[in-house]
Amino acid sequence: MRRIAILAAGLTAALSPVAATGQSMTPMRGEVRSFTDAFAVRVFPGNPYNQRIRVEVHVYDQNFEPVAARITPSAFLLAGQASRPVLVVVPFDGANERKVRICTESIPFPSEQTQIRAQICGKFFGHRRF
Amino acid sequence: MKSFRAAMAASLLAACAHQTASAATGNVLFNGTITATCTITINSNGTMTVSSNLQSLSSHNAGGSAGSAQVDTTGGVQLSVDPVTTTTVPSSDVTATTWTPTFATTGAQTIAETGTATALTVPGTSTVAVNLAGTKSGTNRFSAGNYQATVTLRCE
Repeated sequence: MRRIAILAAGLTAALSPVAATGQSMTPMRGEVRSFTDAFAVRVFPGNPYNQRIRVEVHVYDQNFEPVAARITPSAFLLAGQASRPVLVVVPFDGANERKVRICTESIPFPSEQTQIRAQICGKFFGHRRF
Repeated sequence: MKSFRAAMAASLLAACAHQTASAATGNVLFNGTITATCTITINSNGTMTVSSNLQSLSSHNAGGSAGSAQVDTTGGVQLSVDPVTTTTVPSSDVTATTWTPTFATTGAQTIAETGTATALTVPGTSTVAVNLAGTKSGTNRFSAGNYQATVTLRCE
């Protein structure tokens, strides 16, 4: 319970962006200080289209290797011109600081020869404080 | 004593006579911070056609078309394409194919066709043309059937 409280406090101090319609993901930059062994970021994927799309959120390290972060929710349907908050909790994995990319990906339209997958990635820097 | 007080009062009045009453003013500051933002909207996917020597399957070939996307940004971001990893090829095609994705932009910022990450520094709307070329070397050829590949267009 204490850990949750600290995490929540860290989250509040970290990022409090305002979601705006039509943006694919906001914020795209962030620096977070955490007193626990993980840091949390809240991002707002947006749907710039007028129709509903499927969105996935992934976390990668600097080399685009997947990071075992807790993403809530990691995949969802998003209504046209809408955005919604996604909570990402990234473990430090023993390090004192960690740089990650949080990426919002849209699922391509099917049945075309060359599909384009749109990916918006934000860069986030977590610092661990003892 | 009376004359002294009168003189003091007179001098005070004389000193205050030239003082004008001024309205109190204050400045109200407004601050705004715009962080980097980027929106990608896919306009259309692309089409690849095969070359006459059957060694190139590309959106650059005759009859092919580039995929199109719109990027709205404040600037301060980077646009790139990932190496192609997701492909579907006919079962008859068992030889290796080298896939090369590229992009070019027009509009707010013009970027000549490239495959490397490029900074988008100009705020505004740019139209991105995404091309994909598959090539086979040696005696290898593309075969009949359906090919499909996915290009990841990234803004970060």
